Amino acid sequence: MTLPEPALQVFYARAAWAVVLAAVAASLAARRGRLPRPALAALALACALAQALPGAWAPSHWLGLAFQAPAAFTTALAALALGRHWLGRPRNALLPLPLATALALAGAWLYLDASGWVAHGAYYLGFSPFSAPLSALLLGAVCVLCIARGSAAATAGALFAALVLFMLLRLPTGNLWDALLDPFLWAWAVLVCAKAARAPVRARPGTRPSPESP
Amino acid sequence: MLLALLLAGSLAAEYARWGRAAAPSVPARLAHVQPAAAPQLQLVRQSASRLDAPPGAPSAHASALATLPGDQMLAFWFAGSRESAPDVRIYSSRWADGQWGPTRPVASRASLGEGLGFAVRRIGNPTAWAAPDGTVHLFVVATGLGGWAASRVVHLVSADRGDSFQVRRVLPMSPLFNTSVMVRTTPVGLSDGGWWLPLYFELGNRYPLLMSFDAAGDPRWIARIGERTSLMQPAVIAVSPTEVRAWMRDASEERRIQQAVSHDGGLSWVDVPPLDLVNDNTSVAALKLREGGFVLLHNIGPEGSAARNVLRLSVSDDARNWKHAFDIAAGEPLDEYSYPGVQQLGDELHVTFTDRRRTIAHHVYRIRYGEGAP
Repeated sequence: MTLPEPALQVFYARAAWAVVLAAVAASLAARRGRLPRPALAALALACALAQALPGAWAPSHWLGLAFQAPAAFTTALAALALGRHWLGRPRNALLPLPLATALALAGAWLYLDASGWVAHGAYYLGFSPFSAPLSALLLGAVCVLCIARGSAAATAGALFAALVLFMLLRLPTGNLWDALLDPFLWAWAVLVCAKAARAPVRARPGTRPSPESP
Repeated sequence: MLLALLLAGSLAAEYARWGRAAAPSVPARLAHVQPAAAPQLQLVRQSASRLDAPPGAPSAHASALATLPGDQMLAFWFAGSRESAPDVRIYSSRWADGQWGPTRPVASRASLGEGLGFAVRRIGNPTAWAAPDGTVHLFVVATGLGGWAASRVVHLVSADRGDSFQVRRVLPMSPLFNTSVMVRTTPVGLSDGGWWLPLYFELGNRYPLLMSFDAAGDPRWIARIGERTSLMQPAVIAVSPTEVRAWMRDASEERRIQQAVSHDGGLSWVDVPPLDLVNDNTSVAALKLREGGFVLLHNIGPEGSAARNVLRLSVSDDARNWKHAFDIAAGEPLDEYSYPGVQQLGDELHVTFTDRRRTIAHHVYRIRYGEGAP
């Protein structure tokens, strides 16, 4: 088991919460219309400065009380969201359905195991000295392939960033699961899957609508 | 190109870690494992006293003992205005030359929050391990938002034999915001200088865990003890060179001290039938004596009473068949004598326990063997 330096974990938590809070605030603000760049920059700066405050003045001091730190992938997706707001393209899907499905299923297994309903030791696998890093390397290679082929490249880039953070620095906790998933991201993935399951069936290419009865 | 470089750099970092990683195939052996042979074990009480209560802390609970080199011992417990109060601190006292030293605070929610970089709501349940070089590793339950269900375990280290502690880290135990995991029972030493820390998960389901540490105090692996979902606070004992047993507090309808067994150095565990000893959801403590024999401290009470007014010491030659030795404390129905801690120093058995939630009691027993031993 290789754990990150505690001081690095504190720095990561502050930085990660700054990014996540900025992304959430930007998304809420953008509901009224596209967020101008100066406003977005001010929002991001405010979140960063807030997290730089000492001790209990920083929001991460209290967010950590409840939630510890967000997963590295969550943080990377939040950074991606901020980037899309900056470019004026906030509505592009951050979580493609196949990835959301994988996260939803993996997370269900992980949380059922952690809650004691099954006894597979799922979480502890994320600490293994060989299989966890090997899995990270393989996933990283898949991400590089997706980026090269332009297949959900931005999301693959975010996932790749999370994997590199884990492989180089073992952030956020030394466990690969915590780098890839947290309960917020899992809930988001479940929502994406639920929305997809409820979406109306669209007309397939090549079919014609039947004429209405007179 | 950048992506390829990052991937290559990651591979290099992992390769370097693999090169440093110890061979995982042989688990560390438990320390002080001798075949059980306890002819006529006798325990004769030498003294009964109470640890000095800290000023302004009328409520005390959950004591734990850790032996230091040089026949010394540290006691830890939490105290404050009441359990879960914001003023609760972890206190410590040192046993040396036959007496306790002054009671000192060693951790508070403020000091833990400062060390961790995030807030701590409540603290409790200390347990500790003292390494052969005198370094003391203290583990404390610190809650997040939501009471004991939001508990985390904080690891603190003392380089001055327990006089002062520094926060090392919060142990990563769960993907659920790293909550709902606690400590209570005594760590177990390993032959390579490392130790096992018993823990447990409690949020709806309850299950016991074991975390292995190396001699430097870094975690090595985690294993779940058995598959049952109503057990907590495992007391882990090396019964033989090839068998480790865990005895657990039981929150189920069975109301017995539950047990699990490992034959592979703690990596995997099998649930086995419970002991024929009542347990109504109360903490137990166990110890293997150096010259042979086992002791088990547990509460007994009428069926369905969840009473903690009688704290019993039972003994065994083989860790399977137990007999009542004597009651350490017995009181009125609403009295509480609970959450015992037990350690051996030389030929003395030291027992601490919560005394009616007001103080921590300390009893000393002389360990003797042989029929009619003086």
